[in-house]
Amino acid sequence: MSTATTEHAVHADGIWKIFNEGQSNEVTALQDVHLTVESGEFISLIGPSGCGKSTLLRVIADLTDATRGDMRVAGHTPHEAREQQLYGMAFQQAALFDWRTVRRNVELPLELQGWDKAKRKARALELLDMVQLADFAEHRPWELSGGMQQRVAIARSLAVDPTILLMDEPFGALDEMTRERMQNELLRIRKETGKSIVFVTHSIPEAVYLSDRVVVMSPRPGRITDIVDVPLGDDRDEDTREADAFFDAVTAVREALRGRVGGSDARAKVGEV
Amino acid sequence: MTDTAIADPHTSADGASVGAARSRTFARRARNGGISLLWALAGVGLVIVMWELVKALGNVIPLPLNTSDMTMPHVWTMFAAMGEPEVRGSENTVLDAVIAATFRSLLLAFGGFLIGVAVGLLLAVIMQRFLFAERGLLPFVIASQTVPLIALAPLIVGIGNQIEIGPIKWTTTYSVMFIAAYLAFFPLSVGALRGLQAPTPTSLELMRSYAATPNQTVRKLRFPSSIPYIVPALKVSAAASVVGTVVAEISTGVRGGIGRLLIEYARQITSQPAKVYVAVFGAIALGLVVAALVTALDVYLTRNLPKEKSA
Repeated sequence: MSTATTEHAVHADGIWKIFNEGQSNEVTALQDVHLTVESGEFISLIGPSGCGKSTLLRVIADLTDATRGDMRVAGHTPHEAREQQLYGMAFQQAALFDWRTVRRNVELPLELQGWDKAKRKARALELLDMVQLADFAEHRPWELSGGMQQRVAIARSLAVDPTILLMDEPFGALDEMTRERMQNELLRIRKETGKSIVFVTHSIPEAVYLSDRVVVMSPRPGRITDIVDVPLGDDRDEDTREADAFFDAVTAVREALRGRVGGSDARAKVGEV
Repeated sequence: MTDTAIADPHTSADGASVGAARSRTFARRARNGGISLLWALAGVGLVIVMWELVKALGNVIPLPLNTSDMTMPHVWTMFAAMGEPEVRGSENTVLDAVIAATFRSLLLAFGGFLIGVAVGLLLAVIMQRFLFAERGLLPFVIASQTVPLIALAPLIVGIGNQIEIGPIKWTTTYSVMFIAAYLAFFPLSVGALRGLQAPTPTSLELMRSYAATPNQTVRKLRFPSSIPYIVPALKVSAAASVVGTVVAEISTGVRGGIGRLLIEYARQITSQPAKVYVAVFGAIALGLVVAALVTALDVYLTRNLPKEKSA
């Protein structure tokens, strides 16, 4: 295996995903997608419903197969990556198991990997500490708020120490205040762990605030229309949300979503909108 | 639950008060339990009062039912009948006989219930795992319950009596247990199948993302998710096993159980009308004991789940 491919967290080469191929209800969910996520990079996939952003994430996660094309996840096929637990995943629903305590929810992936009891407990507590929920380790998930549940889900996705985090609208069901707090948490966790992250979202400010690059997608057929660089640096905080560079990037993504590639005259248009 | 209200995790006071909250919950449950018991006793009292009222009313005006002591003995006559010797000159009282018969039927019903639950769960797991099994088995599972028990009982006894594996000889007792199990497995297999299919797509994808094996998915996700479906199914199965036992005892003529006793005492209704009611009480007690056992099981199985309903 060449080092050239292993240093990419994700490498998609001409990925197609066609549902019901050859039938009258054929849908092209992904059309010729090329994307490289560098190691340690934070990438957001954004676009309207049906643009294939979730499908792309699911192809990376080996939850569905690509119809055509080559996908590499940390240098492996998605199937190998899944079998070797090279990625962790978080969904819009926290999907915590009600019958387990918070700690034992975080332990679940370790349990499935056959870790012994003491080790997985120590690991779970360490992760709960990281998401600042150590006090709630022995609570039941349904005793926690939505934001706290989502933090548990993030801790769980980090349990096996994967190199890549795949997140499918993880904050989509949270209120705005909680959502912004969670974004800060995620940036902090990313800084602490150095994970590569692929993040699906509907929210333009969220994508911009979190990402190094925002991948803009468009539906019918689902495809990548633009990739917007977000030059906000590595140290982002609440002030970043009010910085000019932030608004510039938000405008650039918005323009890209409207199909106007570039967005160089973005600032001028902000006033008009 | 509002998100903003307790979104801050640094309220350790919250964590410390969990124990106190749990003991409060326990106290509340105990109090609710006491109140429920009072209501239940009040209900029994009401039935007794109604019974005697109807009888008294029957003496004054003509009612469309026979309220004579022959068909509706006084409640105190029933209690008195409990203390009478079972047969003339016997040491055993009617109550002794009814208790012994009830206990025996309880064992048979319990055995049938356990077998039914085991078979029902196994079928559910197989049907969940293999679509062709669900397609192939489910119609038979459903059809099995449309065969009248009365028709089935002699058949089972007839076939069963020919079974002899080494030292184990099939007896009619096994037939009774088999019939109880036959009725008990159905609600459970259907309920458990629904429960095993209940996990959300997200939970299933989560397990897939962990590269969990199908067995792991059943043990760690599908089975725990099915508990809310299995518990009500267990209640129906338990009731079915009791009915199955009593009916099977009657239709197979096996001695020693409450079903047979009911028939025997019913034949003596002209001489001792109160006696048959004692046997009826035995059958009721049988149902109550089984219901209590299943409720205890319910509390145990759902101890870690959110208490949404006050069942």
